Amino acid sequence: MRTGDYKQSYGELVALIDSPPVWLWSAVLLLALIAAPWLLNSYALSFLMIILITVTGALGLNILTGYTGLISLGHVGFLVTGAYAYAVLVSKYHMPPLVGFLGAGIVPALASLIVGAPSLRLKGLYLAITTLAFSFIINTVILEMRWLTNGARGIQVQRPEILGISFDGDAAFTYLCLAFAASTLFATLNIRRSRVGRAFVAIRDNDTAARVMGINLHAYKLFAFVTSAFITGIAGALYGIYLSFVSVEGFPFLLSIEALAILIVGGLGSALGAVLGTVLIVLLPEATRLVFSLFSAQMDATFTTGAQELKSMLYGLVIILFLRFQPRGLVGAWHDIKRTWVHWPLRY
Amino acid sequence: MQYLIQLLISGLAIGAMYGLIAMGFAVIYKSTGLVNFAQGEMTMITAYIAWTISTTVSGNVFVVAIGAILAAVVLGLVIERLVMRPMLGEPVFATVMVTIGLAVILRSAINFIWDAYPHGLDIGMGRGIVHLGGIGVRTGQIAVIATLLLLLAAIWAFFRYSKVGVAMRAVAADDRTALLMGISATKVHALAWAASSAIAGIGGVFFALSYDLSPAMFQLGLKAFPATILGGLDAVLGSGLGGLLIGITENLAGGYLGSGMKEVAGFAMIIVVLMVRPFGIFGERDIERV
Repeated sequence: MRTGDYKQSYGELVALIDSPPVWLWSAVLLLALIAAPWLLNSYALSFLMIILITVTGALGLNILTGYTGLISLGHVGFLVTGAYAYAVLVSKYHMPPLVGFLGAGIVPALASLIVGAPSLRLKGLYLAITTLAFSFIINTVILEMRWLTNGARGIQVQRPEILGISFDGDAAFTYLCLAFAASTLFATLNIRRSRVGRAFVAIRDNDTAARVMGINLHAYKLFAFVTSAFITGIAGALYGIYLSFVSVEGFPFLLSIEALAILIVGGLGSALGAVLGTVLIVLLPEATRLVFSLFSAQMDATFTTGAQELKSMLYGLVIILFLRFQPRGLVGAWHDIKRTWVHWPLRY
Repeated sequence: MQYLIQLLISGLAIGAMYGLIAMGFAVIYKSTGLVNFAQGEMTMITAYIAWTISTTVSGNVFVVAIGAILAAVVLGLVIERLVMRPMLGEPVFATVMVTIGLAVILRSAINFIWDAYPHGLDIGMGRGIVHLGGIGVRTGQIAVIATLLLLLAAIWAFFRYSKVGVAMRAVAADDRTALLMGISATKVHALAWAASSAIAGIGGVFFALSYDLSPAMFQLGLKAFPATILGGLDAVLGSGLGGLLIGITENLAGGYLGSGMKEVAGFAMIIVVLMVRPFGIFGERDIERV
């Protein structure tokens, strides 16, 4: 039972995990995730894969939009660049998959420098618009560079074999996704509690004040861009492998919206929020389908025919409802519940 | 030479459509400080309603025009009342995200209410060809350019001389002071949404007349976006002219550099504009007080 915050040093204030129960639950979750591929059927397993890949991408966007407060409407651009970098390196030039993953991080990171540099002068909406423009330009660039990317025909991607271990099966590939998602989660949590993370948050909360405090705005904004694009690019490579085919159509603009929806639903600026948001957003269409199918077979049929439309409608609805009624997202709701539980019957 | 003039004229025509939608963006930005990401979708819905009127009620030009404008006004008012009004006073980020959510919903709604196939809007005119000095021009192209110029003049006069126009400018400049002077900010916002929806809707109907209706029409909003940025988000007239510039640039890029360039010419242009003059050619630089 936690009876108070007994913090006696600065180190304790920024500790990754500050209480034993959190260690325990994290370990339980990790064990559950490791056991999951053996217990779940292939249908449920595909959802787990998607969740893990999406978590990686959402955490990437979280660094830029959640921590640093720079809104990006073009993250699908980094996703598709990463996927193509991997596909071109591994499928076309037969490089080892590890090199492919490294390339999938580095190429979007370089691209983000091109977007990020002009964006340093821009704030808020204008930045969002530039990133939006970037994501459309990158699609055209990919389609035009036929000699490298096969243009509209796309590139076939095999499941990788790394250091002699084949990740061909669904269970094995889930472990690969789990490894990437878990290390991304650790990386972002550690970035958040370091000097760099505090600089990001300072820029988000008030950039003028941050600048007066001696934070180099340009350097940190670019750093946020590069880190975010690196992580997102790797998520893109994983998604490309999952689809086993990389093409521009596989990465529609809706993915950018989905990523922002995840952050808003989960709670902006929180790694836990990104994880919770992903689980909710990925499972939402499926859950809605289940609820509908309980009512009637006819509604179930509508769902199968208009699946894509209903899915995007749900995203839109969820974004609006959360912004209206729970702007702090699932994480905020969780904090409220905890507080109510501890203080009841007092208000605070 | 003939080819160049042809490109310029069709550029002006498509630019006028962008201009109309861009004016829609600017009207909302000017009075509420928001970028309405659902503008393209609202335009598309108005065009679809016009098509429904033309096929079910009557193909008469006036009936379709009046019906479409009324429908656009109602659409703008409903969205403002149901979706945007509750967000009053929330941070800009949240409100803009709401318009993005709205855009996604409206886009999918098209597929449910109507269908995913392309339709031609036929009201018996707009596709005829007039010869001007040896160059064939569609009547619809002339009509849309004329409409844009007329609306530009009307809106300039409205903001300059009418009491309501001045009130809207006052709300945009400082909503709290405007409130103290007895102007209802919410009513002004509602009016802005209705006007924006109608102006953009006119652009959408013209687009449907010259090309076809399809669920991909929402991209018109994305195409018109660079026009608003170019002209200045808070400059209604500038946005209209920005549309013409973007239309011409796009067509020249498409005609001389290839169709891939046509798609992104506008976006490449806004990146340059934002780097050089982030507030647009006709916009006002906003000064931040610390």
